[in-house]
Amino acid sequence: MQKNKINYKQIGLIPGYLLVSMWCLFTFFVIGWIMLASLSTTSNIFKNDLFADGIHPENYVKALITHNVAKYFLNSIIYTVTSCIGIIVVAAPAAYVLARFPFRLNGVIQKVFIAALGIPVIMIIMPLFGLITSLNLTNSRIVLIILYIGINVPFTLFFLITFFKTIPFSFEEAASIDGCTPIQTFWKVILPLTQPGIITVTIFNFITVWNEYFMALIFANKSDLRPVAVGLFSMIQSMRYTGDWAGMFAAVVIVFLPTFVIYILLSEKIIANVTGGAIKG
Amino acid sequence: MLKKGRLTMIVVFLAPAIAFYILVFLYPTIRTVIMSFYKMGTVSDRFANWSFVGISNYIWLFQSPLFLQSLSNIFFIWLYGGVIIFFFALLFAVILTSGVKIKSFYRSVIYLPNVVSAVAMATMWIHYVYNTRYGILREIFNFLGIEKLAATQWTSPDNVFMALIVAYSFGMVGYFMLIFMAGIERIPKDYYEAATIDGANVFSQFFRITLPLLQDIMRTNVILWTINAVGFFVWSQLFSPLVPEPGTVTPMIYMYQEVFGTSTVVIDRNVGNGAAVGVTLTIIVVASFTITNLIFRDKKIEF
Repeated sequence: MQKNKINYKQIGLIPGYLLVSMWCLFTFFVIGWIMLASLSTTSNIFKNDLFADGIHPENYVKALITHNVAKYFLNSIIYTVTSCIGIIVVAAPAAYVLARFPFRLNGVIQKVFIAALGIPVIMIIMPLFGLITSLNLTNSRIVLIILYIGINVPFTLFFLITFFKTIPFSFEEAASIDGCTPIQTFWKVILPLTQPGIITVTIFNFITVWNEYFMALIFANKSDLRPVAVGLFSMIQSMRYTGDWAGMFAAVVIVFLPTFVIYILLSEKIIANVTGGAIKG
Repeated sequence: MLKKGRLTMIVVFLAPAIAFYILVFLYPTIRTVIMSFYKMGTVSDRFANWSFVGISNYIWLFQSPLFLQSLSNIFFIWLYGGVIIFFFALLFAVILTSGVKIKSFYRSVIYLPNVVSAVAMATMWIHYVYNTRYGILREIFNFLGIEKLAATQWTSPDNVFMALIVAYSFGMVGYFMLIFMAGIERIPKDYYEAATIDGANVFSQFFRITLPLLQDIMRTNVILWTINAVGFFVWSQLFSPLVPEPGTVTPMIYMYQEVFGTSTVVIDRNVGNGAAVGVTLTIIVVASFTITNLIFRDKKIEF
């Protein structure tokens, strides 16, 4: 009887299954085709017969070397890894203090940081550009790294505040009995305990920084400094003259592969945390 | 003694975050507001070279046909995109929370576009999905025998705006779906059991239970979507990469051309106009935040 009821319910869900399956199939088809096309040739792509002339992995060599994607990729890694570390170094101590100590300005500081989440990037970009030009820093990677750290601190701060709140006070009490100063306690006891939270928020920061486009377009638009997103755009621009479509699809695959692989490995962790902030807010 | 140690710690631990905040948010925001009332040739002009013009940057802006077009474009991106996204996000959220098997697989795939670079996503849409020689839409409509649709030039000036909205919305559905799902999963199951016993069908359950109990989630989503729509840039730039075309221009694109652009469209460059665009957009965000909060006032739902 119970079993029949369940089956009945699953039958009622068939239109739902069909709909989400079609949506997912479309996604797979598009990504799959791009991957196949990246191994084809431009003329075969236009003939709509991808492997008429066999498989061409050299598209990737062309994209990486001729179109500079290898350089852009290295730049992206430098920007992303450095800023992800920087964000934690700046945000974690601040989040700890805001989560733990009920001092007078605590609430105000938190509100001020929340406000930053609603400030459009257009509001801050011009004075930053002016400042950086007048300091003659336009041709350096450090500028973009500093900006990425600053921009991502508010989100990371709130993520970590909720995380620090889940750690019981008894850890600090035990540490202070053992003679640790509060600052030592933070580095030696609390921070290792927050590792799962730090890893999760770093995955988010990694994806955000890797995919960031607007600031990179403005502050790193020299060929030597470009990250992959801006590099891909400039490559698409030059495609008008080179007409190398297969190479372009190879570049697309190279650009999306890192975050795509991270997502395949960690999608449950990522998805479980997307909604955390939105629901509580 | 302990008290003093704590104060030092609070100051030392907060100082870097606050310094970054001042550098990246506070100083630029204030300066942009001031810039919007001045006229200057380049962003890096020294203050001595600025000339005060009152609100004439704003007046100029609201007389510029391209800027007005860009405002109307983001309004329709917000409206049409919002309808598409909220419809599918809610629908999928309801489907996936109603006992579907391999739910986490579907959920992961639908959310996937959000972790991929927007430049890569837009390139896939423009150069594969919408392509008129070998694109997937052409194949699908040919297969269905609708040749008229198969021959459509999706990215031609007539269609590019809707093509842009559809492509962008496709990716955003997953994000809002996740938030709706979390909202639905909070609703106690016995509400639905009671309703089923009383003979309510799925539709009346949706409109009488799910939707009313999602009001605070709806508020969050509307605000998030508005912030998103206001900052619309990458997709628009990729759909018309050379010059801002009236069909796809957004305020961010407009400001980018006005302030940083190399295009010869801008003759008498005035960075103050760009700043005025920024202030206008921020006012739109704040206003929509306030309005949304008024509409959904006192709708904090506790279970």
